Amino acid sequence: MVTLILILISAVFVNNFVLARFLGICPFLGVSKKVDTALGMGMAVIFVMTVASVVTWFIQYFILGRFGIEYLQTIAFILVIASLVQLVEMVIQKSSPVLYQSLGIFLPLITTNCAVLGVAVLNIQKSYSFLESVVFAIGAGLGFTLAMVLFAGLRERIDLSPVPKSFCGTAVALVTAGLLSLAFMGFAGLVKG
Amino acid sequence: MSLKTFAGGLHPPDSKSYSEHKAIEACPLPEELVIPAMQHIGAPAEICVGKGDLVKKGTVIANAKGFVSVPIHASTSGEVIAVEPRMHPSGKLLPAVVIKPDGEDAWDESLKGGNPDDLDAEALKKKILACGIVGLGGATFPAHVKLSPPADKKIDTLILNGVECEPYLTADHRLMLEESERLIDGINILRKVLGIERAVIGIESNKPDAIAKLGKECIAHKIEVVPLEVKYPQGAEKQLIDAVTGRQVPSGCLPMDAGVVVQNVGTAAAVSDAIRLGHPLVERIATVTGPGIKEPKNLKIAVGTPLQHLVDQCGGLVGEPGKIIMGGPMMGQTQLSLEAPAIRGTSGLLIFRKEDIDTREAGPCIRCGRCVSVCPIHLQPTLLAAYARLDLIDEAESANALDCIECGCCTYICPATLPLVQSIRYAKGGIMAKRRKS
Amino acid sequence: MFTSILCLGGIGLIASLTLGFAAKKFAVEVDPREAAIMDALPGANCGACGQAGCSGYAKAVAEGRLAPNLCTPGGSSTLEAIAAILGIEASAAEPVVAVVKCQGDNEKAMPKYQYLGLTDCNAAQKIADGPKACPGGCLGLGSCERICPFDAIHINDKGLAVVDRNKCTGCGKCVSVCPRGVISLAPKSVTTHVLCNSHDKGALVRKYCQVGCIGCMICKKTVPEGYVIENFLASVVYEKPEGIETAIGKCPMKCIHDYATPAQKTAVEPDSAA
Repeated sequence: MVTLILILISAVFVNNFVLARFLGICPFLGVSKKVDTALGMGMAVIFVMTVASVVTWFIQYFILGRFGIEYLQTIAFILVIASLVQLVEMVIQKSSPVLYQSLGIFLPLITTNCAVLGVAVLNIQKSYSFLESVVFAIGAGLGFTLAMVLFAGLRERIDLSPVPKSFCGTAVALVTAGLLSLAFMGFAGLVKG
Repeated sequence: MSLKTFAGGLHPPDSKSYSEHKAIEACPLPEELVIPAMQHIGAPAEICVGKGDLVKKGTVIANAKGFVSVPIHASTSGEVIAVEPRMHPSGKLLPAVVIKPDGEDAWDESLKGGNPDDLDAEALKKKILACGIVGLGGATFPAHVKLSPPADKKIDTLILNGVECEPYLTADHRLMLEESERLIDGINILRKVLGIERAVIGIESNKPDAIAKLGKECIAHKIEVVPLEVKYPQGAEKQLIDAVTGRQVPSGCLPMDAGVVVQNVGTAAAVSDAIRLGHPLVERIATVTGPGIKEPKNLKIAVGTPLQHLVDQCGGLVGEPGKIIMGGPMMGQTQLSLEAPAIRGTSGLLIFRKEDIDTREAGPCIRCGRCVSVCPIHLQPTLLAAYARLDLIDEAESANALDCIECGCCTYICPATLPLVQSIRYAKGGIMAKRRKS
Repeated sequence: MFTSILCLGGIGLIASLTLGFAAKKFAVEVDPREAAIMDALPGANCGACGQAGCSGYAKAVAEGRLAPNLCTPGGSSTLEAIAAILGIEASAAEPVVAVVKCQGDNEKAMPKYQYLGLTDCNAAQKIADGPKACPGGCLGLGSCERICPFDAIHINDKGLAVVDRNKCTGCGKCVSVCPRGVISLAPKSVTTHVLCNSHDKGALVRKYCQVGCIGCMICKKTVPEGYVIENFLASVVYEKPEGIETAIGKCPMKCIHDYATPAQKTAVEPDSAA
C-alpha cells in the first residue's frame, strides 16, 4: 500500500511528466491557453494513459516476453497505443457526442504523445507489477493535468498583463514554463527513488 | 473610543476648510435660467410649456414620464424664452426650458401647504412626487420610489445621510447647522410615510458642531445621531447602512432588502418644504469651492442657474482653470465649460487651477494591490480593468463588475494613475448591452 | 526472426481489423461539402458573414441556410471555389474596402477637452460625446486597429485611423466598432472620396477643423452627377464615379482625396507610404 502511495506522489509531484521529465511538451504548450481546455486535455490524458498502460503491460508480459522479442517494445507499443486511441475516439464520437465535444478534439493530439509512450515504457523499465503500473499511469496523468491547469492559469493571467511586444505569445509562455519547472524542482527528494 | 464605520475605503484630505464656516447665502437670480428636462435618474421629464408662456415659481414645466421619474418646475416667475437643446452638465446638448426671470420671484398661487398630521402616507407620497423631490446627495434618485417599498419588504430603519464624505463639499454640513428645524420636520414626515419609528442621522466626526447641535435637538424627537469615522465613501448607501446598522446589503439587492431606507439630509429638508408649504424642489444648497475660486461660499441656488453666474457670485476665478467639476471631486461630473446650468443634483461646483491637476500618462499596473484594499465593495479593480481592456465581458461579469458603485477610491489611490473606474464602467456598459441582447 | 514478424504482424492485423470494424460500426455522417467549403474559406474567423467563425459559415452554406457570397474577405476566388463545390452559379459581390472619412488628425482638428482615460474610442465617446470638437471626426484611440483581423487599419502618428487598401478585405468589423460612424465600406473601384464626417454647418466646421467639408457645393457644381450634399456634407455617388476626380483640386477645404494618386497618398498617409 505504502509503495503504491509513494508511486502516486512521485509521479504527480517529484517526477512530474511535464515539468521534471519533459515529456508531452507539445500539448503542454499547445492547449494551455484556457483552464477549461487544459482540464479537458488533462482528463483525456489520464484516461488514455491508464488504458494504454494496462494494454501494454499485457502485451509486454504475454507476447513480447514470452517470445523473447523485447527489443521490439517501442514499435509494438506505438502501434498498440495509436490504434487504441483511434478506437476510443471513434467509440466516444458515436456513443457520446457531448463527451466528444469536450474531450474528443484532444484525442488525436494524444495518439502519438510521448508522455503516453513514456508511461508504458517506464512501467516495464521499473518492472512494476500490474497494479503498480496502473497507479503509476494514473499518477502520471494527474501530474500532467496538474501542470497543464497551473500553466493555463498562469497564461490566462499573462494575457491580462501588458507584456512587452517582443515577449508576446510563445516567448513569455516558454519563460513561464521554465519558471514553473524550476518551482517543481522544490519537490525533489520528497520521495526516495 | 473608536467610531462606527465600514470595511475598505480611504481618507483623502477633506479640504473642507475652504467653505465649512461660511454661512449659507442666497444667490441672486441670473439673467436667464436654463432648466434641463433631464435632472434625475430614470426617464427624463416631458416638457409641457412653450416659448412665450408665462410661468410662476413652482409651476410645472415638465411632466413625469413613468414611475421612476419626477416632474420639473420653474425655479422663478418669468417668461419662457426658449425650449431648445442646451448644454447639459453631462456635456451633451439636451432639451431644456430657458426662463427669463421677471424679478418678482412670485410663487404659483395654486401651491398650497398643509399639516402633515392631516394627511395619510399615500397622500404624502403623492405630494412628494408632485413636488419633484429627488435624492439631493448627488445621485438624484426620485424620492417617492425609495419611499414605496414592495409590501413584502419590511422596513424598520430610516437613515439620514449627513455624512458628506466627498472632500470640499460643505452644503449638507451647513444645512444641518442652519436649517435643522426643517430637517427634523422632514424626518418626522418621512417616518410617517414609511410607518416606522427608528430614524438615525449618520454624521462624520469631522463635523463636531453639527453632531452636537443635532444631538441636542433630536432627543425630543427620538432621532438617533450616530457619529461616524471620517472615511470615503461612507455616504454611499450600502456603506452607510453597514456603518450605522452593521447590516450588509447583498450583491444586486437594494437597501430595502436590508430593511433600510436612506435619504440625504437635504432631501428631508426639501420634503418638509413640499408638505408644509407646498413648495416644489426648485432651489438647493450648493458649495462653490476649490483652489480656483476666489471666495468659496455655500449658496442657496435656483435650479437652472448657469455655473458662470455662481462663479461670478464667488468673486470669480483665480488663475487659469484646469478642471471644473460639478459635485464632489471623487464622483462629480467634469464640465467642459461654465456654460451648463446647476441642476437638482448639483451639490457643489469645484474649480481647480491648471497647476492643481495631475495629468501624468497612465503607466502599467505595478500590482501593488492598493485598489483592492480600498475597494469598499471588495472587488478587484485592477482585474476588472484588465478584463475591460481586453473586452472580456463574461469574465468581468463573473468578477461582479456590476456591483461597482464607481466611488473612485481605486482611481484615486492608483500610483500608476490608471483610469480604473472608467474601465469598470466600460465593462458594466458591455455587460448591460449583452443582457439587453439576450 | 519469424516469431517477431508473426507477433508484430499479428498485433497489427488485430488492431487494423478492430479499427476497420469500429469505423463501420461507429461511423458518423459528415457532409463532405462542409469540409470542402471550410478549406476554401480564408479561415480568419472575422465574422463578416454574420456567423461566429468560418466553420459556422461553412456548415450554414453546406446546409443551404446562407448564400455563398457573404464572405467578403475571400472575395471572388472563394466564391468561385464554393460555387464549384456546391455545383451552382453564383454572382460575385463587388469587392469593397473600408474608408475612414476623416482627415482631421491632431494637427488639423481641435480637441474638445484633454482626455486621460482608457485608450478606447467607445469609452471616450461616452464622456461628453468624445474628446474631439468635431462630432463626427476620428478619435484616434484605435478601437478599429485592435479589432481588425487583417492588420489593415492603423492609427498614424498624428492620431488618425488610416486604412491599408491592399490588406483590407471589407469585412466591416471596424465599421461596427467605431462609435462615431466615421468608417464606411465603399466599392474598391471608387478611389475618390470626400474625407469628412461632420454634418455641422460650414462656419462651425471651420472653427474646429482645417480640412472639414463645409457643404459649399463646389464639387457638386463641378460634377453634378458624382456628388450629393446632405446636411452640409458632401459625399461621392458610388454608382456614378465618372469624372469625380476633377473636383479634387476645386475643393476649398481639400477634403476630397483620391487614393489612386501616389503623390497625394504620401501627403496624407505617411504611415502606409513608409
